[in-house]
Amino acid sequence: MTQSPLLKVRDLTTSFFTSRGEVQAVRGVDFDIHAGEVLGIVGESGSGKSITCMSVLRLLKNNGRTIKGTAHFEGRDLLELSELEMRRLRGNDVAMIFQDPMTSLNPTLTVGEQIIETIIAHKNISRSAARERVVELFELVKIPEAASRLGAYPHEFSGGMRQRVMIAMALSCDPKLLIADEPTTALDVTIQRQILLLLKEIQSRLGMAIILITHDLGVIAEVTDRILVMYGGTAMETANVHHLFDKPMHPYTQGLLASVPNVNNIDGEKLKPIPGSPPDMLRPPKGCPFMPRCDKAMEICVTTGAPEFEIDDAQSHKSRCWLHHPDAPQQKGDAA
Amino acid sequence: MLAYFAKRIGMMVVTLFLIITLTFFLMHAIPGGPFTSEKMLAPEIEEALNAKYGLNDPLWVQYLNYLKGIITLDLGPSFKYPGIRVNDLILDGLPVTAKTGFLALLCVAALGIPLGILAALNQNKWQDTAVMMLATVGVAIPSYVVATVALYIFALQLNLVPTFGLDDWRGYILPVAALSGFWLSFIARLSRSSLLEVLGQDYIVTAKAKGLHPLSILFKHGLRNALIPIVTVLGPVVANLLTGSFVIEQIFALPGIGRHFVLSISNRDYTTIMGITIFYAAFLMVMILIVDILYMLLDPRIKLADRNK
Repeated sequence: MTQSPLLKVRDLTTSFFTSRGEVQAVRGVDFDIHAGEVLGIVGESGSGKSITCMSVLRLLKNNGRTIKGTAHFEGRDLLELSELEMRRLRGNDVAMIFQDPMTSLNPTLTVGEQIIETIIAHKNISRSAARERVVELFELVKIPEAASRLGAYPHEFSGGMRQRVMIAMALSCDPKLLIADEPTTALDVTIQRQILLLLKEIQSRLGMAIILITHDLGVIAEVTDRILVMYGGTAMETANVHHLFDKPMHPYTQGLLASVPNVNNIDGEKLKPIPGSPPDMLRPPKGCPFMPRCDKAMEICVTTGAPEFEIDDAQSHKSRCWLHHPDAPQQKGDAA
Repeated sequence: MLAYFAKRIGMMVVTLFLIITLTFFLMHAIPGGPFTSEKMLAPEIEEALNAKYGLNDPLWVQYLNYLKGIITLDLGPSFKYPGIRVNDLILDGLPVTAKTGFLALLCVAALGIPLGILAALNQNKWQDTAVMMLATVGVAIPSYVVATVALYIFALQLNLVPTFGLDDWRGYILPVAALSGFWLSFIARLSRSSLLEVLGQDYIVTAKAKGLHPLSILFKHGLRNALIPIVTVLGPVVANLLTGSFVIEQIFALPGIGRHFVLSISNRDYTTIMGITIFYAAFLMVMILIVDILYMLLDPRIKLADRNK
């Protein structure tokens, strides 16, 4: 990975200022994504994974502010761009798919119009050319009878079909980066797989990079190249997907994997949930955010968050835990 | 579509018939009659008048006679104003009422909605606070207080506008302001809250994420959806404003129809009560039909005719 990343995020810090105080949603997140790569961001609700992406695209609600950090996309820091430059980039170079296709489409406009307006906003082409493009896109995302469905309204589609419309909309201007924020969470289980495989298929055909945000580990293994595990507004561990599943190094990742049901588990082994609940981001812990729930916590974890330790360069494996420090007591079974 | 309209109009006729029937019998249930007054008429004269107007007939005969008139669009003679038919009473007053009402309506729509937008776009800033304060005052203070105070200041003290009448354009200013004050404030508040709600929707975030122009987001995605609840209210508001206000017409001495509605009841002017009631009811029903059509244009999820059945 010597080429420069498509998106390079460093020390991204975002807070929401509420009547109850400052909610520190994202606390210094670093990650890279390269052209053509599929990066999965995993974490529980409130771990800051969605807010990280919303901060990069600068789509935060009024009370949210990115306090520090950089997000370089093709060399330009998105957090420094003017509102006009940002507008030209959104939907064009970087597109987004949202969680709930039921509420993310405007109920009073036809689906065709909602995609055509996106194309016309960014490309210098006629309405009729944009129309033809939408038909192509509908065929790409496998909406049956594409040409006749342009004039339909969102309520005339099922949830899965609406998410296909959202995907077509996101692809309409050939983005270099597609951010999919839990694109399958609101769908039936049977539809979830279809949508993910569709995303994967389109990705391998068109070659754009995808950030797939999810809290579902089962979802992520199949379609991503690399995983970023987030907890308490921080990136805990990152590695190539199979490597991470084989050798999780961070206690949080280990706990997360142990709490997921496995069909190969024939011994009737019980699931091990992680005790406790995620930290209150109004008053995040001073040290490692996972410390209160961690069974391997040490004294230093209480006061100081761990730096990122390089675990395995070939697998881009990094983990943010004091256990990886050379002076830390060796853990049984997972010697680095 | 045509079948739907035929059905709606059929329902309107039935409703109107029920309103006529109810009003007719309720009205006759009030003690007294059109010729009962402080100055007692000689019994023979009252008897003769009652006979002339058919008031001695059994009630159901009077009712059937009235219905017969209605079918030919004849609202009958006024009992209070001899020689004047109720049709003419309405037609004489209507232009005055409709003109002030229409101007008030323009103010409500052309000022109320933009003020609401201004407040919503500057939520919790001084523009929002100012609009909301004015709107709260506008909703809270009755129109006759506004009218009387305005009349005192602008007509009597400053001599900027006439105290009564509609002889030139300046005469319209105060009545229109007094008429529109409440609804303008109401619509401004409603527009603000409705737009704020819509702007918080997920599809607005989608529109931003698509890189659309802010004006396109505001008008095409925001306002169009925010207008739906406003249109709901605007239908009855139109009916309310165009049919006039008794109080405002009294204060500014306007020869509209609003005053007939109140006076006809205390006068037991049976035919005028009926005529004005029918006129109001029909007007309101037409406005509601128009609102329903507008709904369909604004929101494709609403279908007037159920095509599947």
